[in-house]
Amino acid sequence: MAGRNQAFFITAGDLAARGRDNVPGELKSSENLVYSSPATLAFNSPGAQGFGVKRAGLAVPGSVMLLVAPRCCGRNTSALGTGGVLADRFYYLILDETDIVTGRHLRKIPDAVKEVCASRPVRPDAVMICITCVDALLGTDMERVCRASSEAAGVPVVPCYMYALTREGRVPPMVSVRKSVYSLLKPRRKDPASVNLLGFFSPLAEDCELYELLRQAGVRHIREISRCRDFAEYEAMSGANFNLVLNPEARYAALDLEKRLGIPFIELTRMYQLDKVRNQYALFAQAAGLRFDDAPFCEAAEQAVSGFRARFGALSFSVGEWFNGNPFETALALVRYGFRVPEIFGTPGDVSFPYIRRLAQLSPGTKIYSNLSPTMLAYDGRSAGSGFALGQDAMYYHPELPGLRWNGEDQPFGYAGIRGLFRGMTEVLASRDEGRAVR
Amino acid sequence: MKNLLRYLSPFAPDQSGAVSVLFPQGGLIVICDAGGCAGNICGFDEPRWFTGRCALFSAALRDMDAILGRDDKLIAKLASAMEDVGTDFSALIGTPVPAVIGTDFRALKRAAERRTGKPCLVIPATGTKFYDVGAQEAYLELVRTFSLERLSIEEGTIGVLGAIPPDLSLIHPGEAVRAALDPGRERRILCFESPDDFRNASAAEKNLVVSPCGVAAAELLKERFGTPWEIAVPWLPESLKQRLAALHGGRILVIHQQFAACRVRELLPDCEVTTGTFFRTCPEWMKPGDMAFSGEGDFADAVESGGFDAVIGDPVLKRAVPHFRGEWIPFIHFAVSGVLEQKEEES
Repeated sequence: MAGRNQAFFITAGDLAARGRDNVPGELKSSENLVYSSPATLAFNSPGAQGFGVKRAGLAVPGSVMLLVAPRCCGRNTSALGTGGVLADRFYYLILDETDIVTGRHLRKIPDAVKEVCASRPVRPDAVMICITCVDALLGTDMERVCRASSEAAGVPVVPCYMYALTREGRVPPMVSVRKSVYSLLKPRRKDPASVNLLGFFSPLAEDCELYELLRQAGVRHIREISRCRDFAEYEAMSGANFNLVLNPEARYAALDLEKRLGIPFIELTRMYQLDKVRNQYALFAQAAGLRFDDAPFCEAAEQAVSGFRARFGALSFSVGEWFNGNPFETALALVRYGFRVPEIFGTPGDVSFPYIRRLAQLSPGTKIYSNLSPTMLAYDGRSAGSGFALGQDAMYYHPELPGLRWNGEDQPFGYAGIRGLFRGMTEVLASRDEGRAVR
Repeated sequence: MKNLLRYLSPFAPDQSGAVSVLFPQGGLIVICDAGGCAGNICGFDEPRWFTGRCALFSAALRDMDAILGRDDKLIAKLASAMEDVGTDFSALIGTPVPAVIGTDFRALKRAAERRTGKPCLVIPATGTKFYDVGAQEAYLELVRTFSLERLSIEEGTIGVLGAIPPDLSLIHPGEAVRAALDPGRERRILCFESPDDFRNASAAEKNLVVSPCGVAAAELLKERFGTPWEIAVPWLPESLKQRLAALHGGRILVIHQQFAACRVRELLPDCEVTTGTFFRTCPEWMKPGDMAFSGEGDFADAVESGGFDAVIGDPVLKRAVPHFRGEWIPFIHFAVSGVLEQKEEES
């Protein structure tokens, strides 16, 4: 091979100077082929590891999923399906070449749903129908097909749109599926002491202070879809006094719940900057008219950061984007805590620009690479000058460095997220010092 | 319902088969998809992808690309990536999106070759067929593109077609086949894992075809250079061979790709062996009673009512035959389960 042999990057200083409307084409997925490496697996196929539309759709307790698609769309579901954690909840209606051109498969769906329901020892509480790019292009009215299927099978049937073609559109698949999983909630009397946490398909980390803060404020029922043991518990989410949106991808679902069920929502952002977390809680308490004391949690997080800094010194980090956090905000937090961040692997969007501008002031030389750029085939991290890789993609580029994936299913948030991150990094570095391997 | 899978997950599709042949060739591979297919192929069906870098890309098609066509944009992206990466050829692999919008892959090929000045292979996979179809088309495209020159036949040189991870369930199937065929490393074995292997194809005395996906290419090489071919399965997992050696008598069903299943039958002369496969078959290798399953229900009926004492097949298939009471002897098939013969790899 004799290509350009250099991965494209831009420094935080230069990117901030160019502004959000003048991001180089090399950092835009729409202007290039998308490089497929282990660092981009979560971008190309969110379901390959973690939650994609298929697994997310099954967040509704007691539901099963019928994937209606060519066989290729269901292939990686083998990891979750046959022999996997969701083995008895996936079904597939495989489309052939004639189906994908004529759309004749749509007539088979109600019968398939009936057959699926009849084949189970206990009737499912809902059937989620997952459709893919084929039906996006055919312009399928899946709401109508679901109504017909529901009438035929006598169970609620809900569409889940795995339309990868629309991933950069107004309602990308992971936004749409969040609306789908809450769409079975029906109006019911409000319980003023009840709150829903929206945003994730797995629960917040057990030690997250948000639970305690809400309890201090008088909230008795804190519901997350991933903690609902059955459909009845899921239905109880309809009675929430308000929804807390912890991931912007759930905003669309929250708007729908506000419109349909009259449940207002407040948005909180996952951040790793201590002062920002503190400000956010103060604003939240003010907006919701709640009172709680977050000082002990803040103090514990502060100690986690300062303890790490004291033990390991001014480490340098390569920060990826495949972890539970925004790469630019996390990099900014690390820089503000006194660490160095020589490089970030991330896709700079509108949400990230305020962090990039601040980074440009504090660490203008930080290099920003896009995992998606074809030039990343030539990435050579030997001169990066990092001492720690944060995120699964950063670990892919830097197998020689101690690293932390930080993309587990229990979701870090708030002060507990900060504590957990530094605890995780401490374990990695301590185990390295002791000759153990923990990642 | 015929196309309803209640117990099994879908098997490896045609685009994965195409990639399994193209992956080691060193070209720039573009999956013409929105991203999910590339993720599926790489994250699940291409075990070599985790072992090193490969110039494999998603076309990252978006709704407006599909609605408006915009082939020119795809070619521009391809040309730019070729400059970035510097490969000697490119390959465009289809998925359901181009299948639905009726993409003209031949036109794409011409446009790409004109723009880049380098060969562009096209495999119009649709995602609706099995891996063997895609692998066959990829082999054919490589032969059409690179096997052009008639060289002198070299004594001892052998070509091997069809040795790919989905069939042999190994990360490096070529190495296993070479070691089995030529333990002393005295002969030249072309496993068709590089364009040079294809360029030198005419030097082979004969071609061995390890799985049905290699038959069409073997036929084309025979037509083009007169190279004879024969079916051969030089490698089987050691653990399976040990189990087979202990089997005497009884009715056995072997489920795998056809040639591997037939090879197992040869190793069980004392047994009444039937072969079965979900994938393509060569009629001349079918014996009376051999089965080509059309789907999960068909397979379950055959196993549960076939009166077999033992089934030799991928353990993942057991899930579809809960009433089968005979012995199940594992014979992993990566294209079915996505599981590798790890122990063999380690040894």
